[in-house]
Amino acid sequence: MMRGLSRRDLLKVSAASGLAPALGLGNVAPAQAAEQLLVVMWGAAWIEVSRKIVDAYVAKTGDKVAWELHAGGAMAIVAKIKPAWPRVGYNLVSGWDPVFRAMIKEDWVVPVTLDEMPALKDIPPVFFQKNDKGQLMTVPLSTAGAFWGYRTDLVDKPIESIEQLLEPRFKGKLCVPFPVNLTGLLMLTLAMQRGGNERNIEPGWQFLKELAERGQIGRVINNNSEFINAMSSGETSVAFFNIGAWTQVRKQFPVRMLSRLKDNKGFLFNEGFAVIKQDDPKKVEAAKRLANHFATPAINEQYNWPLGEGPTNPKSKASPDIADVFYAPDELAQYAYIADFDYMSTQVDAWAKRWEQEIAPLIRKS
Amino acid sequence: MASQRISSFHAALLAPGALIILFLLIAPIALMAVESFHPFVTGRVGSGSGWTLRNYAELMEPAYAFYFWETFRIGFIISAIAVLLGAPLAWLAARTRRRGLRVAMFGLLIGLLFMSLIARLYAIQMTFGSTGPLAFFGTMIGVPARSAGFAVVQVAMGLLHFVLPMVALILVGTFQNINPRLEEAAASLGAPRWRVALTVTLPLAVPGLLSAYMIALAMCISSFVVPLILGRGIVLFATNLMYVRFSDVANYPSGAAIGMIMFALAAIIIYAMMRLTRALSPVESHS
Repeated sequence: MMRGLSRRDLLKVSAASGLAPALGLGNVAPAQAAEQLLVVMWGAAWIEVSRKIVDAYVAKTGDKVAWELHAGGAMAIVAKIKPAWPRVGYNLVSGWDPVFRAMIKEDWVVPVTLDEMPALKDIPPVFFQKNDKGQLMTVPLSTAGAFWGYRTDLVDKPIESIEQLLEPRFKGKLCVPFPVNLTGLLMLTLAMQRGGNERNIEPGWQFLKELAERGQIGRVINNNSEFINAMSSGETSVAFFNIGAWTQVRKQFPVRMLSRLKDNKGFLFNEGFAVIKQDDPKKVEAAKRLANHFATPAINEQYNWPLGEGPTNPKSKASPDIADVFYAPDELAQYAYIADFDYMSTQVDAWAKRWEQEIAPLIRKS
Repeated sequence: MASQRISSFHAALLAPGALIILFLLIAPIALMAVESFHPFVTGRVGSGSGWTLRNYAELMEPAYAFYFWETFRIGFIISAIAVLLGAPLAWLAARTRRRGLRVAMFGLLIGLLFMSLIARLYAIQMTFGSTGPLAFFGTMIGVPARSAGFAVVQVAMGLLHFVLPMVALILVGTFQNINPRLEEAAASLGAPRWRVALTVTLPLAVPGLLSAYMIALAMCISSFVVPLILGRGIVLFATNLMYVRFSDVANYPSGAAIGMIMFALAAIIIYAMMRLTRALSPVESHS
């Protein structure tokens, strides 16, 4: 197999040719056992807190970390890895359950064990994604969710059911994700509102058509940044999206999360890291070392607080700011839902096409 | 013998460029064409094995005709507006004797090209969007800022921002290449300025105007970022549909099929416009 120029090769060449200072690599001693890692992370608050955590980690371990940001939804990284595989430089990829399922199916992910990553011993087994052999394939860092919510400063009367979103006062005020985003959770929440589920999604399409025909949908978003812009500018006032993006809006504006609706649910999932296969075992080892660091109680807490997400390590404390979207164990059955992402990921292609054929034209005409 | 030597010399000169075109441009498009005939396996990444026409058959749905038409319709209109607005600017920049004015116009046009398009698009959104200071503009033209129709208006504004400086700069060259003595001769024979412009300058500028129009059209229909940022997810160009398939769903064959259809449509339009250019060109029509 062809092997690309490694950082170590580059250092040797640049040291011999006197190029190291010019390349900005002069401060790294070639004798160091440290490894250079490339980590894919989300932008906004995710990269900010990750950089802070890693700066301290780098100073302690000598490992170096370069970052690459997700472009668009997290699923886009799968499409990016595919044509380059197996020559991809990523060591750790941040993602969430459906993205991890796709990566595991493609056999790109290295299993993790509790022996080599002791911080994982504390994390409940249910949070991990596993392969067919039952091996742990992910490093769960956050318990997150997708919820309906609205800016209370822009909505005159409280919303108690998403059926109210058909009222004329919400014309052009709804912000919804494109159905491939969140692996189609928008379709699921709309279907469940009308008695459907993942495998009976038709009621969701009917509800969506009603919303589109009445001109309620003002913005269709594809990523966190678009959501934050749409909700922060006041262009839209009601939305369905992930709690991490909601948290950024909640820092600036009064928001009520509809996490305890009588006739709908909040959708829970896990975010974290997947360790990507590499030829060099030292790189894999270093990637696991870093992922383990993120899962330790103190760091897991530090990581999740600014994101507004729940830590997966039970020894970490959840931020009091997210009490309204955190369910007590006895509330889970009534208010929370864990979707069948494996099934939904097989449907998003068809849902995306149906959106293009039936929904987008209705929104344009409205 | 001498002609053979010249021919070999020319071939040697052409070889590097031809190889680059073959490997960097034609090979990926050929690969995309092949990909478009493979089936997609749901839940997996990329294409499966075997051959199918399904990716093209799906695009025969009327909804997709709308997306292709929308992409070209907006492209046609914006390219025409860009030429209409760019031609007087270019003419002035080419003919003015006031050096300061010429420098200012070139500075503005070139400066716009260098300024990040992303910054310009967000500036449009912040200014004319539903919460922007000029949000009333939408209401003034009968398309409220919060409506779906205004997303089209914003995309049009963004595309105009994108192509107008380029069109104007191309046309400066066109007007500079028209001998001013022809216009002076017409004027000395008593033709008013409007008649000189319509009967002398404009016919001579037709090839340049059509070239600028074609370049603007190519920029518009292949634009991805303008509808992405200003379309609010409501205005979708063919490029946006392709991106969703390649990036979000990992359905490469379907994305490739859209790409091939766009390629074929663009080739037909370019051929038609080249024929039109030839028919309208004074030099060609007299030869």
